[in-house]
Formats: sequence, C-alpha cells, structure tokens
Amino acid sequence: MAGGKKSRASGPAPPSRTLVLDNGAYTIKAGFVLGDHTDEPRIIPNCLARDRHRKVYVGSELDKCKDFGEMAFRRPVEKGFIVNWEAQKEIWDREFFDDKAPQRCDPSETRLVLAEQPNALPALQLHCDQMVFEEFGFASYCRVPGHSHTTVTPILQGRPLHPAIRRLDVGGKLLTNHLTRLLSVRHFDMRNDPYLVNEMKESACYISLDFSSDLEHSWKGTRGERRPSYLAGSAGIARDYVLPDSHTRFHGAVRDYDPTIRKKGGTAAEDVLTLRNERFAVPELLFRPSDVGMRQPGLGDLVMQSLGALPVGLWPAMLANVVCVGGNVLLENFVQRLQREVLERVPDVCIVRVARPEEPVVSTWRGAARFAVHEHVERVVVTRGEYEEFGAGWVARRFAGGVGVDS
Amino acid sequence: MNNFGVIEVAGPKTTRAPGWAYVPDSGPTPAQALQPTNRKRVARNQGGLSSSDVSARQDAKIRKDLEALDRDTNKDVNIPIPPKSGSSRASNKHTPNVRKILQSQKTFANHLDDYQALLALAETNPAAAAALNPANVQPPKPSAAPTPARNSPAPPPPASTPAASKRSAAAAKRAAAKEAKEAAEATLQKQPPPPSPSAETPTPAAGPSTATTDVEMTDAPAPEPELPAAAAAEEPQSYPPDGTILPPYRRPPPPSHPCDDDPLLVSHVPPFPTDDELRALMTAPPLSYLEARAARGSDEARYPARVFCEVCGYWGRVRCVKCGARVCALDCLDVHRQECVTRYGL
Repeated sequence: MAGGKKSRASGPAPPSRTLVLDNGAYTIKAGFVLGDHTDEPRIIPNCLARDRHRKVYVGSELDKCKDFGEMAFRRPVEKGFIVNWEAQKEIWDREFFDDKAPQRCDPSETRLVLAEQPNALPALQLHCDQMVFEEFGFASYCRVPGHSHTTVTPILQGRPLHPAIRRLDVGGKLLTNHLTRLLSVRHFDMRNDPYLVNEMKESACYISLDFSSDLEHSWKGTRGERRPSYLAGSAGIARDYVLPDSHTRFHGAVRDYDPTIRKKGGTAAEDVLTLRNERFAVPELLFRPSDVGMRQPGLGDLVMQSLGALPVGLWPAMLANVVCVGGNVLLENFVQRLQREVLERVPDVCIVRVARPEEPVVSTWRGAARFAVHEHVERVVVTRGEYEEFGAGWVARRFAGGVGVDS
Repeated sequence: MNNFGVIEVAGPKTTRAPGWAYVPDSGPTPAQALQPTNRKRVARNQGGLSSSDVSARQDAKIRKDLEALDRDTNKDVNIPIPPKSGSSRASNKHTPNVRKILQSQKTFANHLDDYQALLALAETNPAAAAALNPANVQPPKPSAAPTPARNSPAPPPPASTPAASKRSAAAAKRAAAKEAKEAAEATLQKQPPPPSPSAETPTPAAGPSTATTDVEMTDAPAPEPELPAAAAAEEPQSYPPDGTILPPYRRPPPPSHPCDDDPLLVSHVPPFPTDDELRALMTAPPLSYLEARAARGSDEARYPARVFCEVCGYWGRVRCVKCGARVCALDCLDVHRQECVTRYGL
C-alpha cells in the first residue's frame, strides 16, 4: 500500500498493461491483462525442438511441425525453475519482444507478473530478477507462487502457508520417461521419440482405483497358454495404440483392443502396440514413488505431511477444500484416487472433498491474472527504479516477505 | 610302507593343485592361502558378503535409473539457438550480470550442489560464506522473518548482514519452528476425538453422514460455516475466537433440533488457532528447497516396498539367482535369463 504509493509518486505512472506468465516446464501460459479486460491465455510449448532433418523449432513454431518422429527437445525449465536463460530468453524474445512476435509488447511499459514455483534456490531467483530488469527491462515485476511441479500448498485467505508446503519430485517428465523405459523393454525402442511417448501417456494412461486387481487382470499367466482374460483384453484394460508412420498419420491413436489383429501377423500396414499394465502402472508413481525405488512418500502421505505442519483447527477446512491443478490432473481418475488416498489417512469423521477446475492447466495462470488486477499487487510489485536503487538483494528480500496480513 | 593300517590324510606338507588344497588351520588365513578355491557353487558359498554386494549393486542401479528418469533425452543432445534473422534486439549490449547468466551452462543439479555447498560452508565458516555471496540473496529468510508485513518500503539494508546475526536468526527460526511443531503435536495428542468436519465445512450437503440420516434439514441462513447444533444450543460462544484474520461467526445459529442433546450426535470441534498463530503461519518465510522436499516418514517404513517383474510388470514373485532381479514366473524368467547371460555370463 504505502510501497505502491511511494513507487507511484517517485517513478512514472504504473504501467496499465500487465503480462502474466506462467512459465511451466512443459508449456508457457501467457496473456495480457489491461484494466478490467483479461485476454485468454496462449499456451506455448516451452522448448527448443529439433526434428530428424535437423530443423529447429522455437516455442510456438512447434505448431507448424508435422512429423514428430525422433524429435529432440531442449527445455530451459527444470523441475519448475528457469535454469537455462540462454534458451529461455530466445523463446521469450520470439514470443513477446521481436517485431513479428505473436504477443508483442514493449517491456518498458509493461508490468510482468511471473508465476514462480515455491521454495526456489536463491541463486536461481537472483538470476530471474536480474534478467527481468537488466536484460528485458520490464517496468515493474512481481513473482507469485505457481504450481509447476507436484507440490501441496495450503492456502489461507489467498496466502500460501509457507511452513507447510511440501514437494514431491515426480512430475510429468518422469512419468513419460518411465513409460519410455517400459515400452523399450517390452515393445519397441522408443527412447528417441519422447514426443510420441508423451502423446501416448496423455491419451492412454489412467490412474487405477484398484491397482492389484487391475494388475491381476493384465497378467498373461505363468507359461505356455495365456490366461483367457488376458486374451479377451484384460477386462477392458488392454488398448491398442497405433503408432504414426510419418507418411499418412503423424499422430498416434488409441483404439479398443482387437484380439484378431495379432493373428493376421506382421503384414498389417500399421504398427500397433498393445498397452496393458503400462496404462496404470506409470501414473501410479504419483501415489507410490517407491515403486521405482524413490525414497519419497506418495501424494496421499504428502498431503498428510503438509497437514502435520498446520494447527489441527485448520484441518477440517483444508480437507474439505482440496483443489488440484496442473497437467497431471488431466489423467483419468486422478481426483477420485487422491480423495480415496486422503480419506484412508484421516479420521473417518472428516469430510474430504477433492475437486479440479475445468481447465487445470491454465487455472494457475487465471489466478495470477486475477492477482494482477487485485489491490494487493501494489504491495509486492517492484519497479525498475527500485531495483536500480536498492539492488538485487533487496528485491529478493522483498519478495520473500510476501503479501503480509490484512489487519 | 606299512603304517599299521593308519592312512595319512593330511601331512605337514601342503600340495598346490588346481581346484583343491590342504591348508593347515592356523588362525585367520591370509588371502593368498585361500587362492585355490573351489570354483563350483560360488554364489552359494559366498555367505554374508553376497547379500550386501547384491544390494549395493541394486542401489547403484536404482540411483542410475532415477537419474535417467529425470533427463530430457536419453542421449546428450545439444540444440544450438538458431541464428536470428535481422532482429532489432540482437545487437543489444548485455550488462555483466546478464552476460554471466546467459553464458552459464549449469543445470539444475549443478545449482543444487552449489546451494548445498554454500549451506555447508555457512555452517562451518559463516564469514567466508557471506563473502562468497556478494549480492547477499542468501539471507532473505532470516531478514524477512521479523517484519510481518512489508507495507512500507524498507530502507535498503546494509550490503551484507553480519554473519553472526544471520546465524542466530536462523537458529532462532529453527527453534521456533520446532516449538510450533511440538505444540501442534501436543494438541494432537490432547484431542483424541478427531476434528469433526461437519462443524465448519461450508455445508457439504452431500456429506455421507447427512445422507444416511432421515432428518429433515433446514437450510442455514447463509453459506457461512455452520455451528454444530449441539454446541450452539449449549453456549452461544464466539467460534472461532475473536480475531481479525478470521472474523468470528456472527450469524444466528441454525434452529435447534430435538436430537441436539443426543450424546451420540455431539461433535467435537478442534480448538481453533489463535490470531497470533495464524499470523505467524501466514507471514512465515518460505522454506528452502531442501526443507520443502517430502521425506519418507517412519510410517511408510512399516510397509515393505512393492516389487515388480522386470519383464512384464506383474508382481515380482521370483528372484533371479544370478543377479537378484525380480520376475513373475517361468515365462518371464526365460526372457530375463537371455539378458542375464549376456550381461554376467553363464
């Protein structure tokens, strides 16, 4: 409040246009907020990609790409933090600052609201501040908590309760890589096709509500004759996945399992993978990371650890209002499974409600956009003049202070 | 020579022959004396050594696998930035800071290692750590802790806080966090009746408890947190206690019900945190990266880790004798043997 007033008095008028960025590891969500009007966010792949003809695509140029076979990626964001600024700057330049950029803006007249993963390393935060002011020269800037990795963040009156934030080091990339490994052992070597495997994960994987019975259904048997349920499609679990052939089809497709396809032999014009327990064993890592030997608790225990850092009086309200955002939430049955896992762990009189917004991928962006027009933004925003006067250390301390409390 | 029927089995003379040897037993044997060992059934005769060996090997394998899972591509690809076609910003001069950042090829793991090294250095030699950290971004947490709300633009603090105060502040913070945790645990134990959600959840109409009872429910006047009928009938207390962060419930309580006095229906409400407690929570500084990482509690150690067949993904019920890998049954064991033979030999 006072900070906002002072900066307004000393510097030029606050910029009217705000660029809201949710800079995720997989995609950037970006859009402008101008007064009361909020644009729809644009989703930009956050990567440099190179196809098999060694052509390089940057950011949203990837939409022009057709053939995703043997695609190699370079991602500037690791674990939710911007690590490689060389690549990130190139993507931002092409999307926001170049003359022909699709979302062109002049940074010296724009405020930046950047969604940031909680609990960042101080060195990376410093880099971020320095790049924003010294290289891009934004007029003013603030960081708001985002949710790029798998974190549990309790929120009270719009403020995160920092002592209770817990993180699980399992993200979408780890799931994709695990699926790649399973497929490479059992079917084809897919290690050079991360894009195809990611597509497969998004379209075919689901979260099992009864893991052991699903696993039992998808077992082929000991030796010789296959079990009848396996041949009949593992109680509806088996799916055929048609791989793209890079001539007519450029995207894979999921199909219902067809047992007669195998009898035709290898003469079929299409490559078909049959997915069985890969479909649910891969996302199961979110709830049981120990299945691949990670020494971390699953999501259900993560919620309980976070609750353990809070006073008991807040538990009922927290448990009844669990909201999941992010790309992994799009997996089928995620919400039901999380609700079940938490319900198993809390006393049975507690009411647990887990929900997800309609568009879990952009909901963090929407939150940041609403914050951009909120009155509190003036409390945390740092102008370029302040940065030049007080330095990077002061800016870091100011962001660490957060919004504070109304009183 | 007739030896009165006694056949000499082992004499003082040792014979070296491939495969076997008589060795006089004289205390701990040097490795050299054991050299001509029995080559048969090595795995069975290794005794205690093998299990730790195998587990060490498996640990290394798991660690390698997890590192591979975190990578973007299986091979090291280097995708250079494509050259720009006549951009206006390309010719901009960079400031020294920016140049340093842009040229840095560090990965997240490198940054994390740096951070851990800095923390370790701060433990042993705080002055050196402060000197290594000219921008002084390290102590945002301690310096942010004492000021609850940063409404006014604080004057720029000195470029580097004295190391001693930084340390003491960090220690105080740690102690406070520990205290708070103990207090929370104490309240937990004091409250054996678990928190009842019906007390203050925002009227979940489809709650399981309300669905089963056959009582006609009247709507509360507003979607505000609803008091348990029994508690409200007994004493019109202000719940939660007067505070500014969460204002107390001031609306009229819901109409009374004949079953309000039924001891079976009384719900226990956990004590609400005080205003100070909430304020401390809301203004607490963020945890560091390592502190926020979820750790395995002692709870999970009670359950054994699930093991899966390395070939098909079913439960891993059988262990390969040679390498300790898990497979489900004979079919998968055959597949595994082929791989195992090429790796370790027969």
